[in-house]
Amino acid sequence: MNDLELELRDLAAHLDVPPAPPLLSVVVARLARRRRRRRMLVLAVAVGATALVVAFAVPGSRATLLRFFHVRSATVTIIDKLPPLTSHRSLGDPISPNLASFRLLLPSGRRPEQVYAGDGGYWLRYPGLLLFEFESGEGPQILKKAGLGTGNVEYVRVDGEPGIWIGSRHALYLPGGPPVAAGHALVWQHGPLTLRLEAAVGREQALAVARSVH
Amino acid sequence: MQIPGEEALVERARRGDAGAFEALVVAYQSVAFRTAFVIAGNAADAEEASQDAFVKAHRGLGRFRGGEAFRPWLLTIVANEARNRRRARGRRAALALRAAPEPGASGEDPEEAALAIDRRQRLLTAVERLRDDDRDVLACRYFLELSEEETASVLGIARGTVKSRTHRALGRLEEELR
Repeated sequence: MNDLELELRDLAAHLDVPPAPPLLSVVVARLARRRRRRRMLVLAVAVGATALVVAFAVPGSRATLLRFFHVRSATVTIIDKLPPLTSHRSLGDPISPNLASFRLLLPSGRRPEQVYAGDGGYWLRYPGLLLFEFESGEGPQILKKAGLGTGNVEYVRVDGEPGIWIGSRHALYLPGGPPVAAGHALVWQHGPLTLRLEAAVGREQALAVARSVH
Repeated sequence: MQIPGEEALVERARRGDAGAFEALVVAYQSVAFRTAFVIAGNAADAEEASQDAFVKAHRGLGRFRGGEAFRPWLLTIVANEARNRRRARGRRAALALRAAPEPGASGEDPEEAALAIDRRQRLLTAVERLRDDDRDVLACRYFLELSEEETASVLGIARGTVKSRTHRALGRLEEELR
């Protein structure tokens, strides 16, 4: 090392470098925030401007993300801890089916008791059955959650189109509102639309209804 | 330069052991901050760069190859963060000398002490006049006392380039001092 190098080494000892601030607490806090954000992001995946989130109630208080199911406009996120639910549900404004912005699909061609415009799509109310229709990519996306060990969520096909069957009591989240208790549901694609059928029926019956929708 | 048990700590941190990563933060926060400060030139940027570097290091642990030294890998991230901030500011804040005691206060010859302070100031001014890549290589090698290998890693250049760039930078520094 020549004189200049030695002088540089000496200079280092005289530089005005402030002592390192304690970084640990800040870094730990940021990592914790990041983990929380990641969890939120995961839950928000595929949830559009108006999101529907459906979750399953399961025993225990585990709060982890366990698995995903996904079709174009619907994602089922399996988790195992639900927030408190309410049974009150507002479907939107009653409208004439003719006023819908796209042709509503009807199970077996049956007219619904009432059509409501809300949540970025249309709710069709039948006795014991609720059908929600929206345009894929524009309306809400659907995210559902299911519990560890439940075999109640599975991929299905409805006339060749992908869908997801959720055979368990679940909660429905609407944007800006509290989670709402809901029953079994089937979500599937139908051309440019995504449909969600909710009824107190089993998988095969729900699929039969879905196949009759046209 | 490794802290004792570093490899095991890194491995545990990679497996999600938060305590192990915290131990790494504690062990390397000083050198991380000093590295960031020497590059960025101010404490606020250095603190931010160090924090961001640790967060990014945590995120990148999965890509960290076992068996390698953690410190140069971390300092590479720190240096990148610090350089980004320096670039964003458009100019580098110059380093300064620590306030010296009154010449002769510590019993040394006042005249010699004053000359030493003057010489250090001239040297620092000359270093700060160098272009960034020359200044950075000298800062790494002499201010941070990084090895050639660590310097290469931190600056993202080949080890041979560290040698040649150091040689060139020392030559330019001598010219500045004439």
